[in-house]
Amino acid sequence: MTFNKRSLITLAILAGIIATAYYFFVTKGITYIWHWEKVPEMLFYYGSRSADDPIPGLHMGVLMMGFVLTLKISIVSTIFGIIIGIIVGIARLSKEPVTRGISLAYVELIRNTPLLVQIFIIYFFVGSMLRLSAFVAGTAALSIFAGAYVGEIVRAGIQSIHKGQMEASRSLGMSYTQAMRHVILPQALKRIIPPLAGQFISLIKDSSLVSVIALADIMFQGQQAVARTYYTFEIYFTVAFLYLIMTFSLSMATQYIERRMAISD
Amino acid sequence: MIKVNNAYKTYSTHDRREVKALVDFSTHIKKGEVVVIIGPSGSGKSTFLRCLNRLEEIDSGEILINGVDIYGKKVNINKVREDIGMVFQLFNLFPHKTVIENITLAQKIVRKRNREEALEIARDLLNKVGILEKEKNYPSQLSGGQQQRVAIARALAMHPKIMMFDEATSALDPEMIGEVLDVMKKLAREGMTMAVVTHEMGFAREVSDRVVFMDGGKIVEEGTAEHFFTNPIHERTKLFLSQIL
Repeated sequence: MTFNKRSLITLAILAGIIATAYYFFVTKGITYIWHWEKVPEMLFYYGSRSADDPIPGLHMGVLMMGFVLTLKISIVSTIFGIIIGIIVGIARLSKEPVTRGISLAYVELIRNTPLLVQIFIIYFFVGSMLRLSAFVAGTAALSIFAGAYVGEIVRAGIQSIHKGQMEASRSLGMSYTQAMRHVILPQALKRIIPPLAGQFISLIKDSSLVSVIALADIMFQGQQAVARTYYTFEIYFTVAFLYLIMTFSLSMATQYIERRMAISD
Repeated sequence: MIKVNNAYKTYSTHDRREVKALVDFSTHIKKGEVVVIIGPSGSGKSTFLRCLNRLEEIDSGEILINGVDIYGKKVNINKVREDIGMVFQLFNLFPHKTVIENITLAQKIVRKRNREEALEIARDLLNKVGILEKEKNYPSQLSGGQQQRVAIARALAMHPKIMMFDEATSALDPEMIGEVLDVMKKLAREGMTMAVVTHEMGFAREVSDRVVFMDGGKIVEEGTAEHFFTNPIHERTKLFLSQIL
């Protein structure tokens, strides 16, 4: 119950801020002829897709197609980001100096160079060697990027678990891996949900950078549509709103998960 | 059952002080024997226990458990630990698991028992420690005494041959110490081999076969509990006992 009420209030405040800004912009700002009526067809339209496919039907418009691709990219890189992050987080705490060194080097390298540069390097350099598609290169770049941050979050999460938990597990005969899997990680992951959520919300927004390698995500489709129609503000407002839908759903989902997992506290 | 020969262990504290936790330490614990280890803080008694299952490692010397050198190269330490139950001062229950899951987890993944078997053993033990009705609760919903009893049940579920208690009652409110000690006494009377670090001299007097007084990583004096109550020999022992009794 509180879940619905709280998210409704948040939504209402957001809508209020946007409406106010929009009102001042329209009435006191520059002269601009609005064409909001052109936006819906960029989301969905009824008609035939092309000459090859003449049967009319309900199809996704360019922005919706971009939305779907952004969603795909974000989901895939979130999953790989978590996998990489867990491995790196554990490696950062390894007793083995080489493992520790490599994982630290990875984290430092990725965190201290711009994502945009990483995307270019992975797409143009690694991508042309391995013949990667733009989608694979883009999601790989985002996964590797997210993995470094998630790794640090996971490491901090593991370190925050009292060492008695590992000792108790090991004294029962569990191996290090079993103790990690059944005892330490479940507790650590629960504790790091809030920073992880922040990280993945950032990831959704950062995914807009893959538009530079001609991946037709929502940002790319938006830019193209603007270039075609000059409905600059309508389109970018819509793009922002579509990002907001994704990020806001994610934060609501994590709040829900957090509350569900608080049972054992 | 447990044989320690000339063990040395030094560790450094956070402020880089070197502490000699075990100095040429040798002892022998027989099957079914209940040994109580007492001594001032920093005397090495917890370290001694923790070296017995290699939560900490001795620097030199040897420790034999059932004739197996547990520091040997080919030893699978996880196998060794299956036979040595350990109970900690701060319980260390798994907070994300219910009481019953705490007791079945290691049974399933270490002893490879199936669900039903693990549950049956767990319920038996919960009954034994007197908190069967709490099986679906989480540790945070239990009192300290109840948590420690669950921790004992968790260790016993592995059917260990040796049980170690590292100040198992030190973190408890006074009125809960009794319920935990009762479980430990029951265990001792059933013939379990036990190494117990504690300051509960009442426990020592009732069930221990031998009391070991440690200071500076060495055994200063050992004997029956009666001996410690009536005529301790060393000045250091007398001083310590005068403070805790």
